[in-house]
Amino acid sequence: MLDTLIPLAVDGLASAALIFFVAVGLTLVFSVLRVLNVAHGSFYSIGAYVAASVGLWIAGAGLNPWLSFPALILSAAIVAALFGPLVERCLMRWTYGKSEAIQILVTFGLFLILEDLQRIVFGVSSLAEDTPMQLLGSTRIGGVIYLNYQLLLIALAALVVIGLRVLLTKTRIGRLVTAVVADREMAQSIGINTNRVFILSFSLGVFLAALGGALATPTAGAAPGLGAETMVLAFAVAAIGGLGQIEGAALAAIIVGLARVLAIYFAPELDAVAPYIVMLVVLLIRPYGLFGQAATRRI
Amino acid sequence: MLRIEGVSAAIAGVQVLRSVSLGLTSGRTTILIGRNGAGKTTTLRAIMGLLPVQGGSVRLDGEEIGTTPAYRRAAQGIGYAPEDRRLVPEFSVEDNIVLPALALSLPAAERTRRLDEVYALLPQLKTMRKRPGGGVSGGQGKMVALGRALMVARTALLLDEPFQGLAPALALDYARTLGDLKRSRPDLAILVTESTPALLDAIADETLQIERGEIG
Repeated sequence: MLDTLIPLAVDGLASAALIFFVAVGLTLVFSVLRVLNVAHGSFYSIGAYVAASVGLWIAGAGLNPWLSFPALILSAAIVAALFGPLVERCLMRWTYGKSEAIQILVTFGLFLILEDLQRIVFGVSSLAEDTPMQLLGSTRIGGVIYLNYQLLLIALAALVVIGLRVLLTKTRIGRLVTAVVADREMAQSIGINTNRVFILSFSLGVFLAALGGALATPTAGAAPGLGAETMVLAFAVAAIGGLGQIEGAALAAIIVGLARVLAIYFAPELDAVAPYIVMLVVLLIRPYGLFGQAATRRI
Repeated sequence: MLRIEGVSAAIAGVQVLRSVSLGLTSGRTTILIGRNGAGKTTTLRAIMGLLPVQGGSVRLDGEEIGTTPAYRRAAQGIGYAPEDRRLVPEFSVEDNIVLPALALSLPAAERTRRLDEVYALLPQLKTMRKRPGGGVSGGQGKMVALGRALMVARTALLLDEPFQGLAPALALDYARTLGDLKRSRPDLAILVTESTPALLDAIADETLQIERGEIG
């Protein structure tokens, strides 16, 4: 049984790593901007399409195939640079302090726009480009074969958890972000340019979502409909962890990943709903998520 | 010299300030008295640039700053301590106090100079500087918020109801500190709002009344 479960677990954790990138971006944007961005999953699928296109271009141009690794990260950076400042300045800023209903409607509108934009730019067919996975090959441990690329994904997710924590607690910009999260008006009145903090945080959130999508292409490719699917999963993970919680999102991603593995093994028909069953149970016991606390909002 | 002239403001459609004018001068302490809801906090927030105003002007040393964002007004030396202390709970007391230095990118020497100045005025902050911002009492939090505002204040200091919710002993302490501040920082124009001004008699140079958004 372990021989089957452990490879499944690696599989589950690797997909959890991808969802984690999206969920942590969602949670970061939510805590700084206080807007639940329903279109966040679209940045995942755009990241996937851009990365697949860049990868195919590298292969087509006969460039060194190892370039496809930095290309994954570069693709996410391109998406973040293109959409982050633009969407935050032109759209998100108008929703700050508005009711949740307006925020959800506006970002849902953005989601529809981005989905159509993808169809116009990339068409409706799926793209596959698996050079990075092929290059890394696989490892055989105790008679079980693991894809090295999947192990890399898990390591990268751990690195992002640590990196974000260091960024928020040790760097100047991170400390300013923390102050804005604690109290926006106080932050302004002690000299913090909150608009800059919003642009940076939103762009970082877009980057993380796009990074998830880009890193998913070598194993899963890019396909239409990816955005909506990812958004729902990422939201479940963010809610389980507690909105605004980095480590919470990481733990929640692991739990969801493992829950899906167990479901595949013991009750395959529950595979798709497993994350939401976990979410239901967690939120019934802890309404603000595993790491979340009821916010003491001041007026 | 900080001067506001004919400033009006509305919050959610309700007129809160009606053509308010007042002037602050270096070395002088102005007290703004009014009941709850009279517009005291809104006056301070308007000076700080934290809410949009309808017409009127805000001038700092003759320069119109009525449309500059709050963070730039902080950079121009206007310090503001809101009525609720609003500390960052995850940061230590000292990190809360030096946060403006980080925000304003002050050079290390200047940051140390201002921090020493704050500790000289409020020595009790130095003894609790390592405690988390979320773990101090309401009264102590007000002191921290005052220290933080002093890191910013080079020209003007705006204090919103500093005695609100303070135990009598702490309130006396706070009032004494304001007296010390007035003597040690003649460069500062100080504006304090209060609903019960008795404690401020000793330091008040000018007392203004605000009622229904109008200064009488």
